[in-house]
Amino acid sequence: MLFAVLAAICAAVAVVGIIAAIAIYRQKRSNKHIHLNRDMNQFKTVVGTTPFDNPSVASNVRNGGVVVDDGTAKMKPSDGLRGRIAILGGFAAVVFAALGAKLWNMQIMSNEAYASQAEQNLYTTVTTPAARGIISDVNGLPLVKNKVCQTVLADSDVADDNDVTRKLAAILGLPVNIVKKRIKDTSAGAQSQRVVSSEARMRDVAYIAEHAESFPGVSIESRTMREYPYGALAAHVLGYTAQPTEEQLAQQAEGRTIESTDVVGQAGIEVYYDSVLAGDRGQRRVMVDASGNVLDVMDDIKSTQGCDITLTIDARVQYAADALLAQTIAPNGTIGQGRGVAGSIVVLDVRDGSIVAMSSYPTFDPSYFTGSIPTDIWELYQTDEAFAPLNNRAINGQYAAASTFKAFTSLAGLEEGFADFQSTWVCSGSWDGFGTGDVQRCHLHTGHGTLDLHGGIVNSCDVVFYEIAKAFFDHGPDGTGEISATALQEQIEKFGFGSKTGIDLMGESAGRVPTPEWKAEHWRNVPSEAQWRGGDYTNMIIGQGDVLVTPLQVAVAYGAVATGKLMKPHLLKEVHNAEGEVVVTVEPEVVSEPDVKPEYLEYVRDALHGMVRANSSIASMVDGFGIDAAGKSGTAENYGHNDNAWFVTYAPFDDPHYVVACVIEEGGGGSAVAAPLAVQILNAAIKAEAGTLDTTPAKLPGSTGKSVPLSYQSASARDD
Amino acid sequence: MSELPQITTLRAAHSIQSTQPRGRRRFRFNPVLFVVVALLAAYGLLICWSATTSDPDYSFSRQALCVAAGAVIMVAMWHFDYQRLANMHMPFLIVTVVLILSPHLPVIGVERMGAQSWINVGMQLQPGEFAKVTLVIFAASLVARYGGVLDDVREYLKCLVLLVIPFLCIMTQPDLGTGLVYLIIAASVLIVGGAKARYLVGTLLAGIGLVALLLFIDEFFLKYQTASGDWEYRILKQYQRDRLLVFLDPEADLAGDGYNLAQAKIAIGSGGLFGKGLMNGTQSAYHLPEAPTDFVFCILAEELGFVGSMVLIGLYIALMVVIFRIARRSVDLFGTLIVSAIIGMWLFQILENIGMTVGLMPITGIPLPFVSYGSSFMIVNFIMLGLIGSVWAQSAMTGKKGGYATPR
Repeated sequence: MLFAVLAAICAAVAVVGIIAAIAIYRQKRSNKHIHLNRDMNQFKTVVGTTPFDNPSVASNVRNGGVVVDDGTAKMKPSDGLRGRIAILGGFAAVVFAALGAKLWNMQIMSNEAYASQAEQNLYTTVTTPAARGIISDVNGLPLVKNKVCQTVLADSDVADDNDVTRKLAAILGLPVNIVKKRIKDTSAGAQSQRVVSSEARMRDVAYIAEHAESFPGVSIESRTMREYPYGALAAHVLGYTAQPTEEQLAQQAEGRTIESTDVVGQAGIEVYYDSVLAGDRGQRRVMVDASGNVLDVMDDIKSTQGCDITLTIDARVQYAADALLAQTIAPNGTIGQGRGVAGSIVVLDVRDGSIVAMSSYPTFDPSYFTGSIPTDIWELYQTDEAFAPLNNRAINGQYAAASTFKAFTSLAGLEEGFADFQSTWVCSGSWDGFGTGDVQRCHLHTGHGTLDLHGGIVNSCDVVFYEIAKAFFDHGPDGTGEISATALQEQIEKFGFGSKTGIDLMGESAGRVPTPEWKAEHWRNVPSEAQWRGGDYTNMIIGQGDVLVTPLQVAVAYGAVATGKLMKPHLLKEVHNAEGEVVVTVEPEVVSEPDVKPEYLEYVRDALHGMVRANSSIASMVDGFGIDAAGKSGTAENYGHNDNAWFVTYAPFDDPHYVVACVIEEGGGGSAVAAPLAVQILNAAIKAEAGTLDTTPAKLPGSTGKSVPLSYQSASARDD
Repeated sequence: MSELPQITTLRAAHSIQSTQPRGRRRFRFNPVLFVVVALLAAYGLLICWSATTSDPDYSFSRQALCVAAGAVIMVAMWHFDYQRLANMHMPFLIVTVVLILSPHLPVIGVERMGAQSWINVGMQLQPGEFAKVTLVIFAASLVARYGGVLDDVREYLKCLVLLVIPFLCIMTQPDLGTGLVYLIIAASVLIVGGAKARYLVGTLLAGIGLVALLLFIDEFFLKYQTASGDWEYRILKQYQRDRLLVFLDPEADLAGDGYNLAQAKIAIGSGGLFGKGLMNGTQSAYHLPEAPTDFVFCILAEELGFVGSMVLIGLYIALMVVIFRIARRSVDLFGTLIVSAIIGMWLFQILENIGMTVGLMPITGIPLPFVSYGSSFMIVNFIMLGLIGSVWAQSAMTGKKGGYATPR
């Protein structure tokens, strides 16, 4: 800058120098004339320009003795200054020549370049967001729809305009500081317009549009937004949509470009099938003015709505499960007033692996996330009292499997030959098989007496399983060494435990089947605990200790017990394109057929059937519904808290259709708390299939996020 | 000792006026000037109409009214004998200064876009524009006293100091564009008024030196850092620097004045030979702010093309030719200087206004004579024409009756 100024000054000095040289040269040449001119002009000017002159000046001139002859008198006073006027004329000539030349250059020589720039200026391509596909249940009932909303957008510099922000706040009914905060929010990208209100009322929008000149930098756009007719129904399955995160913008999937103004899936089906649900953006070539106002639409490629998705979820069964969980855990909306603090129910169609219902409580209303989530709800949901409503416990809740594990560990015992149909054991209520003095107790402290394996499963007798565990230990590396240290785990893992089921949802947990290596690694800093002991076998065999399973894993594994096939669970049934044609149909996928002798499976099924029959309250409930079910309860020790209640059941016994897994965190006994829920939902699933279910889905509220301490404590450690 | 024929002649001419038949004597019609001005004003209104129709902030009828009012004022001025003002340079200096400083007055002063340039007396006026008229008369009468020979240093410096006063006053608003016009008026009068070439060159060098000195002081002594960490100057603010220098490097400031300049050039360049047709301009209408005022030439160039631009330039040239002749034929130096000052002023405004839109000159807000939207300057232009007419009328009358030889 300074250099440019100095250069300009030097150039100016040079130009002035040249002009001065010419002027001096001319002056020298015309010296004589100037003298003459001066006398004459002085005289004439004084006379000519002073009508109110005082006489002394005039006489002064007279006394100067100017000689005027006729010839000079006839000259104009300006004649002597002809050269000076010529300078002005030269200036005029330069001005017009320079401007003319420059205009010739621009308008004739460079016309094409400028014309194309003007063309570019005039037209711009805007993309119009596409509506996302609709998500409906197995019967075609829409669970997620779209609605058209008027969105008020503002340029970032509007935040500095107090006048406009105040007016916007008044019209939209928002506090001024909220309006400013939203305009300053750069989460959608620094360049894009900021959303002030995503759901403005029609008349407010009309007012802003009519008084556009008072709202510089503010614009209004129609956008489609997600609508959830049933509120929190299947919220964890459906997930929610929101503006893309920085991460999502950074790593975009192939064939899908995400713009910061888009709405993308953030959880559940919405994120897993985001590229299916998202449509193709439309492109509009428009004529715009400098402020970006659209003056004319040149051509318009309409956006195509995303593909519609049909889920395997049956909204009626889902509603029954969601409502029942909410009613059980928080009958008045506050957790702690019912049974347990959280829970999950999974209903799986064992024939093809489709999920009929997947419920998790506490839950949320996905409509909170459309637009911008209210900060108070968001903060409330982060507190401990809310018990993580956004967490899908069906796939992320990891619990000790407790006695539900006995179906698989008894199969393990049978397979390894540590138990057979004739084996019997004596339960005295306590057991110290390893002779360490550390007495382990059966949940029935008085003892079950003499039992075979069937009785062990039906009564859930721990001692029977401790004995089988001891057999594994005795034949393992620490005993005879006939089997490996992970023989039991390998049997259990045949049913999918310890690995993800592969359901079409993001972030599924794998659970845990503990092994000596895992334990050594886990306790590497506490060598005294890192030792793999006999107690690890006895804990694992009754689904306690370090065992972790998800409700979905339990449901899928029991499906494998019921049918002999381990299915890959899935939520997607079909994808329809915008024309309504089915473009994708999900085929059932068998992950594996667990390598277990059929007669053993038959034996365990029979024991599970016997368990349901043996428990009078469950049996009467099942009979009341007219279904023939098998099942297993579980009560998981939960250190420092009430026990977690488990019940898993399937029906019909001789031709299994559905398996229902239910867990109630801190609910207490499995048979008492979880079984009624599981059986009711199992009944709902069977009745829904038969077409005799009279439940109609209704709108469900999200959790309030409030809780009080539980008012009861489970009496004993485990009741079964 | 011979009589002074000029005195008697002039005075006689003055008195003859009343004795001669009124219709012939009172008003001398200059048809060429009239036709050129009428064409120019009509052309200007045509462009203004195209520029203002799409923009509700501007009123074409108001502009047309101004032209009509201006024409009336012009005719009235034409009748007036400018020579009566010859010896009144001090009163005119005072009037000039009062006009320029009037926007600083508490009640009527209006601040707009960071400058105290407007007053509100029922309507919004720019007294700085009207001060151009009084400045022209003041400067002409001041220098005319020296009779075309200003070769005394003290006298020259005295003139110089008096002529710089209006410039210093307008810089308090601040309005650099109008201030430069004042300097051009002063320079025109000094050049044509016969100031010694040596003095003029010296003044120019001193002026350049002064600007350099001010920039130097600004750069090394008065520069300070603002809260945001940028450097800011006290004498010539950063935004003024950007504006003045953007034409040297249009890419530097694409968001602000660089954007305006780029859009202006696209508007002009895309006009081509015949333009896009009246009212069909897209560029200037949508992409140029303040198009009807400072960037009005862009509308003309875009909509009527090179031909339309040349018509305007041609009309300006015609006007200049006519008034140059009037300057040459004036009966006295005062008249010559008045017309010369007006020539200098218009030339500079044409150069600056068109020059800035094509990227030849720095960007300052100077209106284009007879075309730019704005009542004050339009009326001032017609007052100027009235003064020119007056000079012509006086010379025509004395030319007929006063015994001057018709120059070549």
